[in-house]
Amino acid sequence: MIVLALISYPRAILLGLLQGVSELFPVSSLGHSVILPKLLGWNIHQNDKYFITFLVATHLATALVLLGFFWHDWVRIVKGLGRSLRNREIAPDDPDAKLGWLLVVGTIPAGLLGLLLEHKLRSVFASAPSAAAFLAVNGALLYGAELLRRRAPQTEADDDARIAGQVRWRDAALVGTAQAFALIPGLSRSGATMGGGLLVGLSNKDAARFAFLLATPIIGAAAVLKLPELFGSAGDGVRGPALVGAVCSACTAYLAVRFLMRFFETRTLMPFARYCLVAGIAATVYFQV
Amino acid sequence: MLPGMRNDRLLVAVAVVAGIALVAIAIVYWAEPARSLPSFFPGHEAGSGHHHTKHGIAAFFVGLACFVFAWFRTGPKRNAST
Repeated sequence: MIVLALISYPRAILLGLLQGVSELFPVSSLGHSVILPKLLGWNIHQNDKYFITFLVATHLATALVLLGFFWHDWVRIVKGLGRSLRNREIAPDDPDAKLGWLLVVGTIPAGLLGLLLEHKLRSVFASAPSAAAFLAVNGALLYGAELLRRRAPQTEADDDARIAGQVRWRDAALVGTAQAFALIPGLSRSGATMGGGLLVGLSNKDAARFAFLLATPIIGAAAVLKLPELFGSAGDGVRGPALVGAVCSACTAYLAVRFLMRFFETRTLMPFARYCLVAGIAATVYFQV
Repeated sequence: MLPGMRNDRLLVAVAVVAGIALVAIAIVYWAEPARSLPSFFPGHEAGSGHHHTKHGIAAFFVGLACFVFAWFRTGPKRNAST
């Protein structure tokens, strides 16, 4: 069967491992899932139905890992949302409620743009050379965000209280809107939100935390919306590799989020900016030769 | 009545009306195929039997956001001195 030949189990393992890492590292998972098959000479196209079905499974796995990793935070945030709705106000001394509504405000523009533009942007920018060029642009954006960042005074408050205190409603909407850039293969969702977080005055650690919290509902909703394709006729012949890819993706996503939360305690986006610039330019040159 | 209070009520009324309209638009998107949508709706396409489910979801959530906004705006006001 053609489908089995296109996503074999070894390829599913490699793509799953790559998806888990690159979804959370600010280096564009979509860009890598377009560039890598082209570099390896695989006959996989980004807009092929079975490949989208495969990506749905790996994205769902990543979203579940993020939900599990920040489970206690989500429980507090959802309770805060409920409390604020019951009291019909967001109390100044309730950072969980404020953070919850910041995430809602940040998710709405990204969700809207994703729902309305995803198909068009994917079909226009789906080629590997385009993804390589945008990967270099992603590197420049990360570099720019580090250069232009505002440095807010760091307080002793806990992580969520610090984020809730620092981020304004307008900032949340802007950072959330920046997530829509990730619809273009090569531009990174987590890169856009981490960079946006730095520009509104968050530390690298808080920006990463805010980015991961923002990513969970968007990645999860996008995957759930397309779940019928996985269980429908589009999933025929690809469910096995998709399951294996999802398990691999979940493993690397867990390791990636653990690593990044520690990494950003002391480090910046600069290594990722350098990687994206070098890899993007090198791949662009390679595709042109 | 304070001038600010009148503006507040107007804003709430606009949010509620927009919320109802957007939820109604969402239902139209879910119920009607692209060919039967009003011609000024994004996604209208003569002869197409496709349902724009995602457009409906987008309209529904923006409508819900309007209701939430109105809900908070009409909540008890916190006294500035407390």
